[in-house]
Amino acid sequence: MASLAPWREASYTLAIWRRHFLVWQRTIYSTLALQVVNPILFLFAYGLGLGAVIQTLDGLDYLTFVLPGMMAYSALFTASFEASVGAYSRYAYQKTWDAMLATPVSLLEVLLGEALWAAFKAMLSVLGVLLVGAIWGGIASVGGAVLAVLALGLASLSFAAVGLACTAHAKSWEFFNYYFTFWVTPNFMFSGVFFPVDRLPDPIEWLSWLLPMTHLIQLVRPLTAGQPLALGPALLHVVFLAVIAVGAFLLAERRLRARMFD
Amino acid sequence: MAATPIIEAKGLAKSYGAVQAVRGIDFAVRPGQCFALLGPNGAGKTTTMRMIMGLTKISAGSLTLFGKPVAQIGRAERARIGLVPQEDNLDPDLSVRQNLEVYGRYFKLPKSVIRERIPALVDFMQLTEKIDQGVMQLSGGMKRRLILARAMIAEPELIILDEPTTGLDPQARVLIWKQLLELKRAGRTLLLTTHYMDEAQRLSDWIVIIDQGRILAEGTPGELIAQHVKGHVFEVAKPLPGVLANGRFEHEDIGDSVLFYVEQPGELRRELPAETSYLHRPANLEDVFLRLTGRKLREN
Repeated sequence: MASLAPWREASYTLAIWRRHFLVWQRTIYSTLALQVVNPILFLFAYGLGLGAVIQTLDGLDYLTFVLPGMMAYSALFTASFEASVGAYSRYAYQKTWDAMLATPVSLLEVLLGEALWAAFKAMLSVLGVLLVGAIWGGIASVGGAVLAVLALGLASLSFAAVGLACTAHAKSWEFFNYYFTFWVTPNFMFSGVFFPVDRLPDPIEWLSWLLPMTHLIQLVRPLTAGQPLALGPALLHVVFLAVIAVGAFLLAERRLRARMFD
Repeated sequence: MAATPIIEAKGLAKSYGAVQAVRGIDFAVRPGQCFALLGPNGAGKTTTMRMIMGLTKISAGSLTLFGKPVAQIGRAERARIGLVPQEDNLDPDLSVRQNLEVYGRYFKLPKSVIRERIPALVDFMQLTEKIDQGVMQLSGGMKRRLILARAMIAEPELIILDEPTTGLDPQARVLIWKQLLELKRAGRTLLLTTHYMDEAQRLSDWIVIIDQGRILAEGTPGELIAQHVKGHVFEVAKPLPGVLANGRFEHEDIGDSVLFYVEQPGELRRELPAETSYLHRPANLEDVFLRLTGRKLREN
């Protein structure tokens, strides 16, 4: 059954994913606190705090404006953290990857399993924020929210892939300071989470278009707010996120192959 | 021997730039054998093991596993190998049972097979009472046994043991040795590296001693002892009595005393003046190892 071959091979990647899921189940409450409650606290703080000051932004009430930003933030934070600090501890300290590589599992599958796991975990926190935001009245379009979740899934894979590329180059924990300072934080601050990027000075706005988070928010905000989203630009955003995901993933795999095998 | 070797190296070499870690070695691991690769730090042992496991490319010569060149080894062959690594890489957040289940899935074993094998494996490694405990609550010896059980989940033909008892107390080591001999009796092939010569002597059928990337000696433990340190050792304190100073007996100066190697203890004992202080014991593999690789510390 040659046509079944890719799926048969997929069971190796699935085995890696299931390992991460099992470990997560054992520590579910602490991770839920971090991944779901954390962004919800943000949502309340910004929704109630800034929402009281800012009535509307770009024609949206502030909750509707900030909710997609918070969903994107939880995807960014969760996927980035899991694929960097989480993956690095498995790689360099627990030697989990070495244990996996002593079996028929390949490095590519170890990394695919990591990326899918980080994206899955990111989506759990996205859905938590979405649920609270929807109850609170921040979702204007249910169909749009479904599409937004798909976009967030793709973006989570991009963030995970960049995190893995960073892990592949990290020689110590300190290396992640650069990653959080020069990658995660700018993605959070300069991508339109709290205010539209066109309010930024021009050169900074141009730079913000290099960040996947900016493209994600351009997709997600009109979708959940029930605003029109032009197909052409939307496709460009999707392609940008996909290119980052594939490019960073291949970079991570290449670097780790060179590092782990000689 | 007719059977294809499980592992066969011919002129196997590895260099890292100008550094030659392994300089052309030949050996064959036969099915059902316990084969020990011994050597001081920096001898080329780790490099050789890494080449066997496919983590390091070979520079020259040939290396086959199950009759296939290492470069062509795929999933099918890797599923026939169980690795017991030097460091503990169990999943610390999971239980004994979960560690085995997770590992079984890496070999794509069906759930029913995994479920069936786990009780037998934990029983074999005497971990039945700990089956639902977290790995962090296990002692060092139990963790080692679990790593060994984990390596057995896919019923491998070849088990690679990288210093399997380092850091364990004598009771834990004895138990692991017993179970390894049991595995050998069941027809598994064992490839062992260790710094404990008593371990190698007890378990191995064939020993290769390497240093500076070359094979210094090989044979059964008995052959190596007979050939290099004769069978009996007399450690005689300095100053030596005159009768021993004439070089008639094979000896080695180790500082405060001199080791004499003889086949029959009587040969030397009858020569010793009554007041001489000495220690007589059967020669062992450690004597061979130290004699061949020298007594200088290897630190790298």
